[in-house]
Amino acid sequence: MVFTPISPILADKVALSGKNAGRTLDLFLKTWMGRIGLAIILFFVIVALVAQFLMPPAIGSADRRMLPSSEHLFGTDQDGKDIFSRIAHGTGASLTIGFVAMAISMGLGTLVGLASGYWGGWRDEVIMRVNDVFLSIPWLVLMIVIAAIWGSQSIGSVIVVIGLTGWSTTARIVRSQVLSLKERQFVERAKAIGSGEWHIIRRHIFPNVVPLIFANAILTIAISILSESTLSFLGLGPQNVETWGRILENAYDEGVALIPGRSLFILMPGICIVTVVLGFTFIGYAMDEVLNPKLRRR
Amino acid sequence: MIMLLNFALFRIMPGDPAQLMTPHKPLVSDYLYWRNVEKMGLNDTWPEQLGKYFYQTFTGNWGVSFTYERPVIEVMGDAVTWSLLLLGVSSILTFAGGMALGKIAARRRGKALDVSITGFGLFFYGMPIFWFGIVLMVIFVAQLHWFPAALPITSGVKPFPLTADKVWDISLHMVLPAITLTVGSIAGIVLIMRNSLVDVLTEDYITTAYAKGLSEKEVMKRHASPNARLPMVTTIAMDTAFILGGAFQVEWVFSYRGIGWETITAIEYKDYPMLQFIFLIGGVAVVIANLLADLILVKLDPRVEII
Repeated sequence: MVFTPISPILADKVALSGKNAGRTLDLFLKTWMGRIGLAIILFFVIVALVAQFLMPPAIGSADRRMLPSSEHLFGTDQDGKDIFSRIAHGTGASLTIGFVAMAISMGLGTLVGLASGYWGGWRDEVIMRVNDVFLSIPWLVLMIVIAAIWGSQSIGSVIVVIGLTGWSTTARIVRSQVLSLKERQFVERAKAIGSGEWHIIRRHIFPNVVPLIFANAILTIAISILSESTLSFLGLGPQNVETWGRILENAYDEGVALIPGRSLFILMPGICIVTVVLGFTFIGYAMDEVLNPKLRRR
Repeated sequence: MIMLLNFALFRIMPGDPAQLMTPHKPLVSDYLYWRNVEKMGLNDTWPEQLGKYFYQTFTGNWGVSFTYERPVIEVMGDAVTWSLLLLGVSSILTFAGGMALGKIAARRRGKALDVSITGFGLFFYGMPIFWFGIVLMVIFVAQLHWFPAALPITSGVKPFPLTADKVWDISLHMVLPAITLTVGSIAGIVLIMRNSLVDVLTEDYITTAYAKGLSEKEVMKRHASPNARLPMVTTIAMDTAFILGGAFQVEWVFSYRGIGWETITAIEYKDYPMLQFIFLIGGVAVVIANLLADLILVKLDPRVEII
């Protein structure tokens, strides 16, 4: 190539490209956080798959509201479904929601950030103001409002709702990165030889943005899972899928917290949520360390 | 920007009634339904509604709550007081504790204390606050100590004949919600504070300061902390939204009738006047909070000027 300037950021970009991915993964696994985080997530993914293909769906066949026993590990809920089974099935749903919502959030955020940063000018200003509005409103309120408007009864809607709540931070990060990249020489040179705008964005700017938002993306999955559980808990969750949040919702409505013996009903889904979120957080931190050389010093 | 926020708020609100309009039918006959619709002022066309809303807002007429049949201000007045109480206590503990812990962790980074503090931080960071509240309920109410219910016992008239008994009662009721909210929010602050401080501590000028012979305490106080506090303030300002979300959950779990509880209930019962008022207040509060944060930032950072 005629020009291959080296910058600290490009070094990160290289880290994620095909041939170097192996080395990145290696570094990643060297960190204890990376290992534990990955282990946790893999565990739950396996549980989700097992539940999907091997376990029967939890149907209300057994006795209702039973205490934990050898037959029903965590007891049964108000419809007679086995809670352990519900939790296992909920794994897949919760993880999926988290992941897809993150995709929407990151996708939207990145697009907005790229566009806003690259265009600059009044368009940038307008977009950033709108973004500020989204950022200022407490996420819970925002989520509830969007849920009220868009509807959150189906799994698709819930995913959209959560996705729409979280794109602002990403947009901001992406935009500031784009702004600094825009001034660099390789962009200037690309323009000089007549590269089209899209080409510049696609091949020069975007790859340098990816490492930055990668760790952010992982954390977003965790937040999405948390958001879904909160929405469901408040009664605004999806009605047609089994998720951990809904188990918590049922548990709370049953007043299980105060009934001795049935507390596993409400404790177990929560523990699952906490663990999964912890797993993603660890992975996110580990990725951050690996991809951001500045942090490795510590 | 204040203007834009306010407008955005107004734009969002009409969106709600549009969607939530139909389900409001616990009533039997059609006549009753339409009478209610008329009473709620939903019968007017949208522009009329909007116009009325603007007018009423600026003349101080907030409307009557659908569920309570009392003026919205009354209901919210009580709620606001309770929320402020909870948030006040909680925030002080969260910020003070969070910064202190973050500092301790940063100073002894890598050692046992740091690891444990950071560990706790990470653990509670990802915990759904409502779940944590429930866990506390399971533990502490099964021991029969703190009540999970609303503020004072229902029979007691609201606090203003304030007696010592009532203060004790209120405090008792507030312990669990406060702990839940504080612990839930502190994790984030600790982590941010620690990271920010550690970032600062690796800078060259810190090494210089030590080389000059300053003691650790002095270095922290005069060089490290001030610089670490800057990103902290901006992040905290953004985090207030997060804490608010937590407060809502805590209020809901413990049936603590503050703003959060009223909001969630209002949404369930589709109580528009309440919701409109809440969002209005919310919007204003957010703007004020951001302004405050900006002002604090100006004071703390000699490099920033007021635009």
